[in-house]
This record gives sequence, structure tokens and C-alpha cells, in this order.
Amino acid sequence: MTDFSFLADDALVDALIMEIAGLLRRLIEHGEAGIIDVLGLPLPPSCVASLEQRLGHGEVTVRLDAAGASEIRETGIPGVWWTRHSNEQGRLVAMLIEVTFVPEILKANIADVVRGAERLPALTNVALRARGADVALRARGAGRPHDAS
Amino acid sequence: MMHHKETLGTMLARCGFGRRGLLKFAIAMTSSLALPPSVAPVMAANLAKAKRRSVIWLSFQECTGCLETLLRSSSPTIDQLIFDFISLDYQESLMAAAGSAAEQTLREAMAANKGEYLLAIDGSIPVKDGGVYSLTGGRSNLSMLEEVAADAKAVLAIGTCAAYGGIPKAYPNPTGAVGVEDLVSNKPIVNIPGCPPVPEVLSGVLVHFISFGRLPELDDRKRPLAYFGTTIHDQCYRRPFYDQGKFAKSFDDDGARQGWCLFELGCKGPVTHNACASLKWNGGTSFPIEAGHGCIGCSEPDFWDAGGFYTSLAGGSATGWKSAGIAAAVGLAGGAAAALSTRIATPLEDAPASPPEKTPPEKTPPDKLP
Repeated sequence: MTDFSFLADDALVDALIMEIAGLLRRLIEHGEAGIIDVLGLPLPPSCVASLEQRLGHGEVTVRLDAAGASEIRETGIPGVWWTRHSNEQGRLVAMLIEVTFVPEILKANIADVVRGAERLPALTNVALRARGADVALRARGAGRPHDAS
Repeated sequence: MMHHKETLGTMLARCGFGRRGLLKFAIAMTSSLALPPSVAPVMAANLAKAKRRSVIWLSFQECTGCLETLLRSSSPTIDQLIFDFISLDYQESLMAAAGSAAEQTLREAMAANKGEYLLAIDGSIPVKDGGVYSLTGGRSNLSMLEEVAADAKAVLAIGTCAAYGGIPKAYPNPTGAVGVEDLVSNKPIVNIPGCPPVPEVLSGVLVHFISFGRLPELDDRKRPLAYFGTTIHDQCYRRPFYDQGKFAKSFDDDGARQGWCLFELGCKGPVTHNACASLKWNGGTSFPIEAGHGCIGCSEPDFWDAGGFYTSLAGGSATGWKSAGIAAAVGLAGGAAAALSTRIATPLEDAPASPPEKTPPEKTPPDKLP
């Protein structure tokens, strides 16, 4: 039997769903993203759980490791993402509903990309051998980078 | 060690943090500061470009509890990196220098950052008899505050003593203790009261200042509205018991064991503005009410003289707490209105002192005291 007990939650959930619908319309028509700060709302935990349940699960779930763990999950409504950010002690510091094609935090930042590009040549076998890194790796039994051959 | 001229973005990269960590930190801070979440990318970008800001910290008539709690607020996290991003150029308890070398450090920091440094104060300032009751290097707190505040960008009054005079000001106030705002009138002041204050509030104020170049929105008592806009009662997990009229009558009765509201045991949560119930203490572990003790109202002015800690707001001799009815007069449906009314920081005298409907006024302290 289907459990409809979540329908007992108050009108706050319906109001939030209508707000999400409005943000989705703006995304579709103008390409503008929107965010709702769930932790900042005076919602009882039961309402948050009810809203999360109604939005459901989508196709994408991403785990992010940056200054603590984060879970970024697309809900059953494409373009609507449920995001939880925890700090390094595992404490929940932000819970967001993001209405966007791809959450901003998933995109690589240009400054990080530039630094990564600068590091890349140092990862070639030639560079590693030049630094004696392969010898050190073998001595520790840690294996070695895959040879291109 | 951070290089003086490098930006926070450069420092984070050097420490192995990517920009995602900074964006995530900004998301958490915007939530904490009640800013729109869409501001987070702007805050992250501003933080990445920001450089160190000098902070001069003067300790006056105090117990060092404020400094202790702030120092123990975090393990190595991005928050701490933000704190590394300020240059704490003078703090007598922490700095290695002493005597004339310390005084020279203070003069150099003031000269090098004239008009730009933040001045943090913990402790009240005794003004009676020319301020002779608290001296540093032979100089009165009063004299030091006057000189160092003159060239500060803003003044942060950390803890209830610095904000309102605190415990040194308690009756009969033998040293004539006052808070910073009683003496400094021509500088922006942020009061971060609490005995001690919640450390995350200081980091929030600093991050706001570093990223936007201005102080966060304040209430009429110069407190950051994002953290002091509601009462402990507004956000207390025991609030539903209050609304149901379920009150512990002593610290070890059945109601207390079931986590019922501590209003009748003297909890000052309904009239105390602070973020303890939401940010909590010790890395988000708990707060006093969660440990079974009522709020003592330590972040409110003159809390020490406002009546017994174990006297109910609804009656007894707690005459200093006249706003008991702010929340007490409303039920569950009125919770939001109560939160709004307290956010505006209505003067204590304006609120009615009526008890909750289901609670008989208590005229005597509970018989069970810890």
C-alpha cells in the first residue's frame, strides 16, 4: 500500500514546490539559475524530509571532497539539485536546492585549471625518471605510473 | 606562514586547496550570515583576491575566556586559513614579545596600517578614578582605547564585557566599568556579546568584512543581525514543549528527563538574543539547554544583575527580565511573529511580562539547584 503520510506536512512544502517551479521557469526561459537555502528556512525537519521525498531521486549523484564532504544529487526533476555540504568535521554547514543545468561548484575553476596544466608535464615518465621518482616509488613498493608503451 | 602580499586564493593553492573549497566555504558563510545564496560565488571571488588585514587586539578588564574560546574554535580547516588571512599584529596573551618590544610592535602596526586596521577589544574599560583599576605597561585601558581606536577602521567589541561592561560592571561596579560603545562614538562598532561569545560569529563578521569591505548588517544594539536577530527560545529544540505547556519543574523530574522546556527553571532563552541554539558549541556538539541547564542570558546587557539564574521569567524577583511575555504570550501559531518582534530588538521594558497560558506564575526559585 502506498504511504501517503508525507501529505500531512504543512503548506510550507507546497509553497517551496511552487517556488522551485518558478525558478525552473526562469531557468528554461532565461537560462538564469536559482538557489534556495534550505538550512536558512524555518522548516521543521519533517518538512525538509517531505520535500526531499517528493522531489525524488534523479540520474546523477556526485560526491565532492573539498574542505569536507559534499553530496550533490539531481532530484527526480531534471535541473533541480539537492546539495549537502559538510565541513571537515562532518558537520552539515549548508543544504541547498539549486535550480540550474550544472551546479556551479562542479565546474572546474579557471585558476585551478591553469595550475593543473602547469603541473601536467611533470607527470610524464621522462620527467619522473629525471627526478628519480620512479626509483623511489619502486623502492617503496608503490608501483610506478603506467608506461605509454 | 603566509606571505604578506599574497592573496587568499594564492595561499589556498599553496596549501593544496582548490577553489571549490573556497566556494563551499562561501556558501556556508552566506547561509550563516543570512545572505542570499546567490552571493556565494561573489564572496568566493572577493576572498580569493583579498589580502591580509591587520587586526590589533587589546585585552582590558577580562578573564581571557573570550580569547580561549576563539582559539579553540577550530581544527585546521579553511576557517583557520581565513583566520590566517588576518594579521594579528598585537595580542598580549599570544605574542612572544613583551615589555617595550611589545609596545614597539603596537606602534609599528598602527603606523603601517593607519586607518585600515581592525581593533578587537575583549574586556570592559574601568573609568572610575581616571581608569587606574586596569593598567598595561603603566597605561590605563581608557588611554589605550582612545589612542588605538582613533586610527582604526572599525572596532569589534568581543564578549559581553567589551560590549556592555559585563561582569565587571555588575553592581556595585567598583571600578566604573563600561563597554566600548560608551567611550567610542566616531567609529563603526560591532558588538559580539556572550560570556564567552560564539566563535563562529567572529569568523562570520571577519569574513564579511574581508570579502565585501564593510561590516554586516547590525541591529539596534550593534550586534550582527544574522546571529542575534532571533532569541535562543525562537530556535530552541525544546520550543515545541513550551508551546504544548510542558515544563520541567525541577532538574531531575520526569519532565526534565523527557527534555521538556526549562522556562520554569529560570531559562532566559525567550529574552536572550544569540546563536547558541543554531550554531551550538564545541564544533556543533550542543549548547547549555541541550545539556539540561537553562540559558542564563549571558549575551544580554546587565545579565548578572537581572535576577536569579533559576528564577522564572514569569515572576519572582527577576525584575530585570521584563520581556518574558514576548514569546510567552504567544502560542505555536504566533512563533513567527514572536521571532520577528524579537529580531527588531524591542527594548526589554516594552514587552509584557505575562506567563505562558498553561504555566502558573512561579514566585520562588525551584527547590532543586545544581
